[in-house]
Amino acid sequence: MLVAGDSEVYGIALLTLKVAVVATIISCAVGLPLGYFLATRRFWGRRAALTVVNTALAFPTVVVGLLLYGLLSRRGPLGSLGWLYTWQAIVVGDVLLALPIAAALSAAAIQGVDARIRRTAQTLGAGGLRTAWTVSREARFALAAVITAAFGQVVAEVGAAMIVGGNIRGSTRTLTTAVALYTSQGDFGLALALGLILLIMALFVNVALQVLQGRGHA
Amino acid sequence: MLELRGVRHRYDGRLVLDLDQFIVPRGALLAVVGHNGAGKSTLLRLLALLETPTEGQVLFSGALVPKRARAALRRRVTLVEQRPILFRGTVRQNLEYGLELRGTARTAMNGIIGDLVERLGLASLLNRRRHELSDGEVQRVAVGRALALRPDVLLLDEPLSSADRAAATALYQTLAAERAARPFAICVASHQLEEAYRWADSIRALAEGRLSPVTPENLFRVALPAGEGVKHAHIGGGAIDVAVMTDRVGPAVLAVAPSDIFVSLQPLTTSARNVFSGRITGMSIERRGAGVHVRADMGGVELVAAVTAEAARDLALAPGKTVFFSFKATAVQVF
Repeated sequence: MLVAGDSEVYGIALLTLKVAVVATIISCAVGLPLGYFLATRRFWGRRAALTVVNTALAFPTVVVGLLLYGLLSRRGPLGSLGWLYTWQAIVVGDVLLALPIAAALSAAAIQGVDARIRRTAQTLGAGGLRTAWTVSREARFALAAVITAAFGQVVAEVGAAMIVGGNIRGSTRTLTTAVALYTSQGDFGLALALGLILLIMALFVNVALQVLQGRGHA
Repeated sequence: MLELRGVRHRYDGRLVLDLDQFIVPRGALLAVVGHNGAGKSTLLRLLALLETPTEGQVLFSGALVPKRARAALRRRVTLVEQRPILFRGTVRQNLEYGLELRGTARTAMNGIIGDLVERLGLASLLNRRRHELSDGEVQRVAVGRALALRPDVLLLDEPLSSADRAAATALYQTLAAERAARPFAICVASHQLEEAYRWADSIRALAEGRLSPVTPENLFRVALPAGEGVKHAHIGGGAIDVAVMTDRVGPAVLAVAPSDIFVSLQPLTTSARNVFSGRITGMSIERRGAGVHVRADMGGVELVAAVTAEAARDLALAPGKTVFFSFKATAVQVF
């Protein structure tokens, strides 16, 4: 089936990739700066903020799905968007789940950078953005791992995708929800094939990030 | 040029710096001396505008530094840390870092760096990366990286901690040459008094975060026993006992001004409670005034006494000679 190039399977794989990439980009675009901010700024309530982010790491995906369902359902506060059972809803759910990962792990990565790097950048005249860039460059391996982890969370996520996406054939069926469905239907062969695609996807992203990291040394 | 006024700085509630006023005048050669943990690094970080004092004001050219202007003013004050760190990349990229930020043109940049490389002897290091350098080389690159920016104030934190004597001399020669070409202020934090005395125009002593009113020689961290009146404090790990008049108990810093110490060749019969004998280890001409600093090893503890050049001649003081140092218990200041 994989070799034959079943169009439905490719559709599912493409949707999964689209959702995962968009959700990873959004969660990292917000999460990495947030992590930097939490790691470097001293402000009132910082410790509490870090605790919240770290707790959110362990947020059950079905709970996020449930809450999001409430928000997006027709009578919910965001019901007018009409996003329930669309791929956008899955992205929102995935972003909510990946954001704490991006923020908490990047905060830890940035905290691991020698404090002298930041001071040195500043004393040499770097502004806020350039300082952040300089510090992040020192933590690039750890930050690449953060992106990988965020992608891993998003691509493997099933609970929220099932609830807010609805696992609708040809529209919001992702690899994980499809695997869950086919397994419950007893179609182990198909489920296994889809699982394999998922693995290959994860492997591909990891290899790509490693290749990127490999360029340039300390 | 740079001034701290009424500054109290705390880390986690602990007072680490308490200065009514600290000024780095324009073009000054200033040394801040004191023990490790006296607050020197913190002081330099405040002067470098890298930290905001918990209380008090920072002034630049007589005007308060507003929070928004700090990043801009930082471009005129540059700090080289005690153990400097280089960024990822080559030595050349490190030297170019601050110049690039300032939008310096490539040709001008090459000129500045070529010049520095020659004076600091960095030519062979240009394409190396930080893990390929020794501590001393990192230090030189860090100084070069700061000098490339032509700051109005250069702050150096223990620049000699990872340098040998030849490197130290080279560093000060480079700084002197740089200052001859373009006046700027240098403020160095050091625990090596001799170095500070050798080249600084003016010296400030820090002890426990406060400016110490005496010259920085003969500062000792002690634990004072309970009781009142004259007490004996162990210094140098119990090598010698110093009699001191104080009601203070517990950790304190003792200071004896070199000018309060009598130097004699025989033990004197006087009221002085503190008399120590030992060999002279070094003598140096004090730049301010015509005095001579005589340092002697008193059983493992170095004490410094100031005498006039005339007295040094009359007593024929010379390294290796055994001398007696005497001072009164009331001459010992407690901080």
